[in-house]
Amino acid sequence: MSASIEHAAVVRRAPGPTTIPFGPQHPVLPEPLHFDLVLEDEKVVGVVPQVGYIHRGLELLIDKRDFPDYVHVAERICGICSFMHGMGYCESVEGLFATIVPDRARWLRTFWCELERVQSHLLWLGLAADALGFENLFMATWRARELVVDVAEETAGGRVIFGSAIVGGVSRDPDDETLKRCLAAMRDVRAETLRLADVMIREPTVRHRLDGVGTLSHDDAYILGAVGPMLRASGHDYDVRSRNYAAYGEIEWKSVVETAGDSMARALVRIREIEQSFAILDRVVATMPAGPVSVPVRGMPPKGESWVRLEQPRGEVLYYVRSNGTRQLERFRVRTPTFANIPAMVAAFKGSSLADVPTIALTIDPCISCTER
Amino acid sequence: MREQIDGKAIETIVETIEVASLLGRVSALRAAGWRIVQILGISTDATIELSYSFGLGHEMRVFRFNAAGEVSVPSITPIFPGAYLYENELRDLFGVQIQCISVDWLGKVYDVAADRPFSRIKVTLPSSEGGRP
Repeated sequence: MSASIEHAAVVRRAPGPTTIPFGPQHPVLPEPLHFDLVLEDEKVVGVVPQVGYIHRGLELLIDKRDFPDYVHVAERICGICSFMHGMGYCESVEGLFATIVPDRARWLRTFWCELERVQSHLLWLGLAADALGFENLFMATWRARELVVDVAEETAGGRVIFGSAIVGGVSRDPDDETLKRCLAAMRDVRAETLRLADVMIREPTVRHRLDGVGTLSHDDAYILGAVGPMLRASGHDYDVRSRNYAAYGEIEWKSVVETAGDSMARALVRIREIEQSFAILDRVVATMPAGPVSVPVRGMPPKGESWVRLEQPRGEVLYYVRSNGTRQLERFRVRTPTFANIPAMVAAFKGSSLADVPTIALTIDPCISCTER
Repeated sequence: MREQIDGKAIETIVETIEVASLLGRVSALRAAGWRIVQILGISTDATIELSYSFGLGHEMRVFRFNAAGEVSVPSITPIFPGAYLYENELRDLFGVQIQCISVDWLGKVYDVAADRPFSRIKVTLPSSEGGRP
C-alpha cells in the first residue's frame, strides 16, 4: 500500500462530525421543512435550515387583483391564522385610505382574532401531545378544538377560512345573543382544555422531555429577531397587541411571559395564552358595542405606503402595502412569525440531543405555509 | 406614519441612505438596542428598492436604498446574525447581489420555476457552483 493510500484510509476512519438530514418529511412536521443537523456523537453542534419546498408567490398576485378582492388571497396564506392575515391586509389598506373602522367591527375583529389564537394553540397542543406519545391527549385536545372551530363557523361563516374580514370592517354581524350562546358553549371547552394542559405539563415524562431542553437565551432571542411565544418564553415582555389595534386598547389583558427560555417555557406561554384568550373573549362579548360593522371604502387608494403589525398565534406579523394610485396595489409584503423565528429555532437546536430535535421543533410551532406565502 | 399608543406618539421613520453607509447605520442601531424586523424588496421597471426595518418596542425605523444592476450590498449578518433568511430571499426572488451572507444558499433557497420571479428588471448574477449547502 502506498503512503498516500494508507493516509486516505486513516482519514476516512477518523472520527468527526456527522451530518444527519431531518425532514422535509418527518412525523412531527405537518409541513415540509428540512434541517441538516451536524452531530458530534448525539449532540447537535451545527444546523443548516432549508425552506422553499412550497413557495407560492402569493405576494405577486397583488398587482393582478382589485385591492378589495385581494383579501381573499391574503386569507389563504395560511389555514391556521387566516382571519388575521385577512385583517392585517385590510388594516394596511385602511391605513392608506385613513379609514376609521366602526367600533363594533373592531370588537368583532378582536373576537375572531382570539378565537383563532385559541384554535391555533389547541392545534399545537394536540400536535405536541402526539409527538410526545400521548395519542389520547392529542385526540381529546383536537375534539375540544373542534367546538372552537364550530363557533368560528357559526359567527364568521367559515371553519378554516373565516371569510369575514373586508376592507372597511367585517362582512358578518353575529347578534349579541349568538355570541353569548357561543361563549356558553365554549365554557366546557375552556375547562376541558385547561384540565388537559394541566395533565400534560405535570406529567413527569413530558417534563423530562421539555424542561431545560432547547433553551434560547434572553439575548439570543432578541438579537436573532424571535417573535411571539418564542420571544416571550425567553423573558421579553413584547406582545404586539399592546399596540392597541382592533379593540385591545379598550379591553383589559396582560401579555404572558416566561423566563426559562426552554421548551417547557414555550409550552407554558401558549397554554397560559389559551386561558387568557378565553378571558378576552368574555370581555369582548360583554362590552360589544352596537352599531354598523363596516364603512364603504371606494375609489382609488391614494399613493403611498402603509405598515401594520399584528400579534398572530405564532408572534408578530408585519404587513406592508404600497399604492401607485390605481386599484391594483404595487406591492404587498407579509413578514410572517415563523420566517422571523427560524434563526432562533436553529440556535435552540444547538447543544441539544438528536432525540430532542423533534420536540424542540414542535415547541416553536412552525408554520411553513406562512413562511413560504 | 404616526400612531398613538397609550397617549404616546409612535412613528415609523423611513430614511433614504447610501448603500455604503448601511453597515455603519445598522451597527449603530444594534448598539442602541434595536432588533431586526424584516428586509423588504420592491421592484420597479428601473430598480430594486430595499427597505431594512428595525424595531425598538413599538417604534420602527426603515433604511431604504436602491440596489439594482451592479450594486453590491453587504450582508448585515455579522451585525444581526438572523438576517440571513431575508438576504437569501432577496437574492432568490429579486436577484439582488448580497455579499458574504453567513448562511448562503447560493440562490437556491426557494425551489421556484421562474428565475428572479419578483424582479421586473433583468439581473445577471455571478454563476454559483454547487447546490444547496
